[in-house]
Amino acid sequence: MPSDARVTAYRLEEFSLIALLLLFFIAIVAFAYTLPFDARLFPLIIGGAGIVLTLVIALEQVRRRRVGAAAVVDEDDPVTRADWPRYATALLSAPAFGLLFWLFGFIVASLAAMLLIPLLMGYANRRQLVLTAVITVAALAVVAPYLLNVELPQGVVGDWLIDKLALRAG
Amino acid sequence: MFDHLILGLTAALQAKQFLFMIAGTVIGLWVGVLPGLGGPVAMAILIPFTFSMDPLSALLMLASISVGAAFGGSVTSILLNIPGEASSAATAYDGYPMAQQGKAKVAMGLSAGASLAAAIVGVLILMFASGPVAKAALAFSPAEYFALAILGLTVVSVAALGSTIKGLAMGALGLAISLIGIDSILGAERYTFGFVYLLDGISFVPVMVGLFAITELISMILEGGTIAKAGKLEGSLWGGFRDTFRYPFTLIQSTAVGAFLGMIPGIGATAANFLAYSVAQRSSKHPEQFGKGAPEGIIAPEASNNSCIPTSLIPALTLGIPGGATSAILLVAVTLQGLRPGPMLFTSNPELIWGFFMGLLIGAVMATILYLIMIPWFALITIVRIELMAPMLLIVTLFGAYANERNMMDVFVAIFFGLLGYFLRRHGYPLISLVIGLILGKLAEGSFHQALMISDHDYSVFFLRPLSASIFALCLVLVLWPGVKKRLGHGGAEVT
Repeated sequence: MPSDARVTAYRLEEFSLIALLLLFFIAIVAFAYTLPFDARLFPLIIGGAGIVLTLVIALEQVRRRRVGAAAVVDEDDPVTRADWPRYATALLSAPAFGLLFWLFGFIVASLAAMLLIPLLMGYANRRQLVLTAVITVAALAVVAPYLLNVELPQGVVGDWLIDKLALRAG
Repeated sequence: MFDHLILGLTAALQAKQFLFMIAGTVIGLWVGVLPGLGGPVAMAILIPFTFSMDPLSALLMLASISVGAAFGGSVTSILLNIPGEASSAATAYDGYPMAQQGKAKVAMGLSAGASLAAAIVGVLILMFASGPVAKAALAFSPAEYFALAILGLTVVSVAALGSTIKGLAMGALGLAISLIGIDSILGAERYTFGFVYLLDGISFVPVMVGLFAITELISMILEGGTIAKAGKLEGSLWGGFRDTFRYPFTLIQSTAVGAFLGMIPGIGATAANFLAYSVAQRSSKHPEQFGKGAPEGIIAPEASNNSCIPTSLIPALTLGIPGGATSAILLVAVTLQGLRPGPMLFTSNPELIWGFFMGLLIGAVMATILYLIMIPWFALITIVRIELMAPMLLIVTLFGAYANERNMMDVFVAIFFGLLGYFLRRHGYPLISLVIGLILGKLAEGSFHQALMISDHDYSVFFLRPLSASIFALCLVLVLWPGVKKRLGHGGAEVT
């Protein structure tokens, strides 16, 4: 990515974060108004303080931009070195895993994560990959219910299939 | 007193108690290493198994889990920059850079040395100061508690990475998030929007998993390679252990910070961890080395959280007021055994109390030995390829988020905070201020309202009581001091 575009993207991200924070604190204040006095007092103070602090941060950013402050992007930032597939893998791995966990349960989601994430990161040793994936998931499948007393969820689709095929015990 | 010590030692040195302590320590070390699954979770899971035990065995096993988890929590902080325990989060600031330099063993040796020394001091304080300190804590009014919560936030925000204003904004964000759920004063629903999940507020575990584990995972995936950039391990464990005692001032200072904060209910080991780190940084001759692998940056948080755990039991055992999750679970265990926490416990069950104290002392030594034996194996993690480790960590951490309450929503909350944390961190917002705000939120609001109720809604109560006024003045000085110093031309090294 060219340097100028990188700085622009970084600044856009910076102002989006400030906007998000400002919106959050405004919502804290706005939704507090319907509450009884004792329940809204602290939210009003915290929300108000948050709004002021966020505005100060925004003003500071604008001031820095006006005076043409030196490079804002840290050259050691791994994002500057990562190509877009790796960036997408980094940002989307957790949400994709969460979605699979919810839909198909822990085992399927874990196997998918263990097999796909290394491949997307360019890991070449597929035999080692499959072995690690199977051992890790099998270990967790044993440890969770028997040692930690945590039943692993089968997911929305998994539960539907189990009910449909009448596979549920008892 | 001497009779009590002998009585306690005799009770704690029985083979049965010893076995329960070993079991508890190993479980604690293990869960401490797993991000998201901390000591309180393991203690809560094992509480049903303590019904059939005698009271001392039950208490010693549960307390050993807590001690082991405090030791184990530092392992992932150092090796992966992912705290296994919230109370080990600040250890990552310097532990992880050391691991990146291939000095993971030295870092863990430092952690073990500081933890052992501080835990022993913490237990000794617990033994000898229970009565008098509990009386002193009783004198703290809600106005002082509120002032202390604000002081905790201010210190962390001022000393954290990035600007103070961003730190304070993150503190406000943490406090604001803690407002979600049923309000503790009137029972009014706040910011729940009809979601049952939000009634109890945002659970602390998924937020921690997201902010620390997922955020770090994203960075790890972007980086690739191995955690130890050199791909090999240098330095020795015993060298690190010995090095701990080359920094006696940091060790004593941080142990004192942790021990003091432990005695105040609600502050807890996590806040002590960060406060000790910032205090050590401010008093160091080389503050610019903090965050780059400074030994004092490991000694301070580890000493404080390990001295905090025993002293947090002082208000719990003497007054029945739990200082945090660990002491709350121990109180539940005491109650389940048919005992009543409070001053009478010391006179009616001296064998139990002193056996428990001596057991904690022995447990600290045991945890250090087991930790040192296991460290060489833990250290190998830093030379494993990130491509293999990242997905493994992803599934373990999100499983930890799920296992806490067996709630799928916790997984999504962890992911949300992970993504938010990544962008916040990238833009210089100190996540730790957010976490401290979240931890202290309930305490701050509760004591704020109590102070107002007691004073008949007179807001001057916070500034007219000498102690709370002094604490607020200290907050103001902390916020204004860097600016004043700059104007006076004594800039010096910027504190990171």
